[in-house]
Amino acid sequence: MQDNAHHPVNGKPVQSLGVGFPYFAALPADLYRSDLVSFVEITPETLCRQRVTGTTIQIDIAADRLATAQETCAGLPVVIHGVELSIGSAHGLNNAYLRMLDSFQKEWPFAWHSEHLGFQTIAGDNDSRLEIGVPLPMPATVEAIELVATRSANIQKRYSVPFLLENPAHYFSELPADPEIGNEYKFLNVFTEQSGCYLLLDLHNLYCNAVNHHFNARDVIDTLPLDRVIEIHVAGGSWRDGFWMDAHDGRVPEPVWELLEYVLPRAPNVGGVVFELLEEYAIRLGVSAIENELRRAWRVWTLSHGPN
Amino acid sequence: MGLIEYQTVLGRMLREQNRDDHLRGVTLEESESRYLENLRDTAEFRFYGSVQRSWCIARATKAAHLTLSLLPQDERERLLDEWVDSGSGAQSFFFVEAESFLNFIGRKLSDRPREFTVCQFERATLRASNGADVFVAPDPALLQKADTCLRRGSYAALVSFEAEPDQSSHGPLAELFSADLILMFSPGLPQLWHEPAPDELALWDALDSPTLLRTLLNHGHSLETLERLLTHGAVETTP
Repeated sequence: MQDNAHHPVNGKPVQSLGVGFPYFAALPADLYRSDLVSFVEITPETLCRQRVTGTTIQIDIAADRLATAQETCAGLPVVIHGVELSIGSAHGLNNAYLRMLDSFQKEWPFAWHSEHLGFQTIAGDNDSRLEIGVPLPMPATVEAIELVATRSANIQKRYSVPFLLENPAHYFSELPADPEIGNEYKFLNVFTEQSGCYLLLDLHNLYCNAVNHHFNARDVIDTLPLDRVIEIHVAGGSWRDGFWMDAHDGRVPEPVWELLEYVLPRAPNVGGVVFELLEEYAIRLGVSAIENELRRAWRVWTLSHGPN
Repeated sequence: MGLIEYQTVLGRMLREQNRDDHLRGVTLEESESRYLENLRDTAEFRFYGSVQRSWCIARATKAAHLTLSLLPQDERERLLDEWVDSGSGAQSFFFVEAESFLNFIGRKLSDRPREFTVCQFERATLRASNGADVFVAPDPALLQKADTCLRRGSYAALVSFEAEPDQSSHGPLAELFSADLILMFSPGLPQLWHEPAPDELALWDALDSPTLLRTLLNHGHSLETLERLLTHGAVETTP
């Protein structure tokens, strides 16, 4: 079993939390009070409402939803996994999200904070912000890295907890790249060096890209800065129109479990593994099947970290 | 290629799949333009386009489930296509997306009074339930100042299910229409709606534009009715 006092961030060690699960209001609270969930991943936007006045956007925490979530999670450690930041948007990130998270942290402190590496908004007319409707990957360019690294460093400083970016699943076989960066995975190395921030290694995203773009996921893992990985995601997907899609719609495929077994002993600062699902599929999959996936994650976690 | 140019064109290509002027206002070298144009012809871009479109349609369908269920399939598909073709359907927050889409289809249903009413009903339910998350009943002492300006509540609505001569086609909603029902939706009501009393209806009608309290009292509206609707959120003070 590894030392729990991991790599320090802002002078504090990263907590070793074990196996986590996203918070879904629709699932029974008992799931979060079982031994199978030792921390909860919160997407704060799901506890919020958004108001748009002209071009001004405000995201407000809905007090009753927050109270229900806190009661359900019953004192478990929480980590933040946002979806609305659009950290890579060249025209500007979503400051309304950050203002909301300022308030959220006061209400419910979190161990670390993650977001998706990509962009989902572009500039519209009159300073408006247009949502694209799907998240898109960043090009592996110097300009893109500088933008994301600077913003990430500022965010990590703002909340005084580790800030992690998640490697995306995407369906473009080739992304624009500057020769000095190389490719999207070398982007992650340069990002951690430049920003001082961390990675959320989503193994299902990596698996999707490996299947769709025909490469060996382990070869890529061997090139990543695994000492900077603080959280790992496992998830399920499905085929659509000839692409394996990061749909978060079911059980974790066997090759993704194998990747988890491969990565965990090699990533010394991992604080937790989360089984990702979309809420609608969590309901369809059912608590029993979710528990089975969590047990499997615990088995792999315990092999490398010992019992929590 | 600059990051903002790349993102702008790629974002437009997905948001505006039926348009061809994605390069408008963007300065690119010829090779960069060619790269983006060629990207449009790839299977992977078409996949992104298909996913984007289906997600936008799914968001809109969820927002107006009841109203859409009353429309013939071809009409439903036409409205959804028109909505998505206009670049809409991409907002991730449900309420904002739902309110926008219900306003859009409301404008398209002027020749379908029954479906229009159901659309208003669906929007009123959505507004009141969204408002209930944040509504705090205001202090009735606000009504002690005659120069207080009042208006209809931001999360309130009135829906009239007017009876029509031909009731046979109303299906599961026939009862609502046959009873000539009027419902007032307010975020502070326990069930978000009630059947308004005549004095409440008269006050709602009087507030079709912001009005001073003094004027309302001079026109015979009672302080008791005002206080009741203020407490429910059917009436609010102007900022």
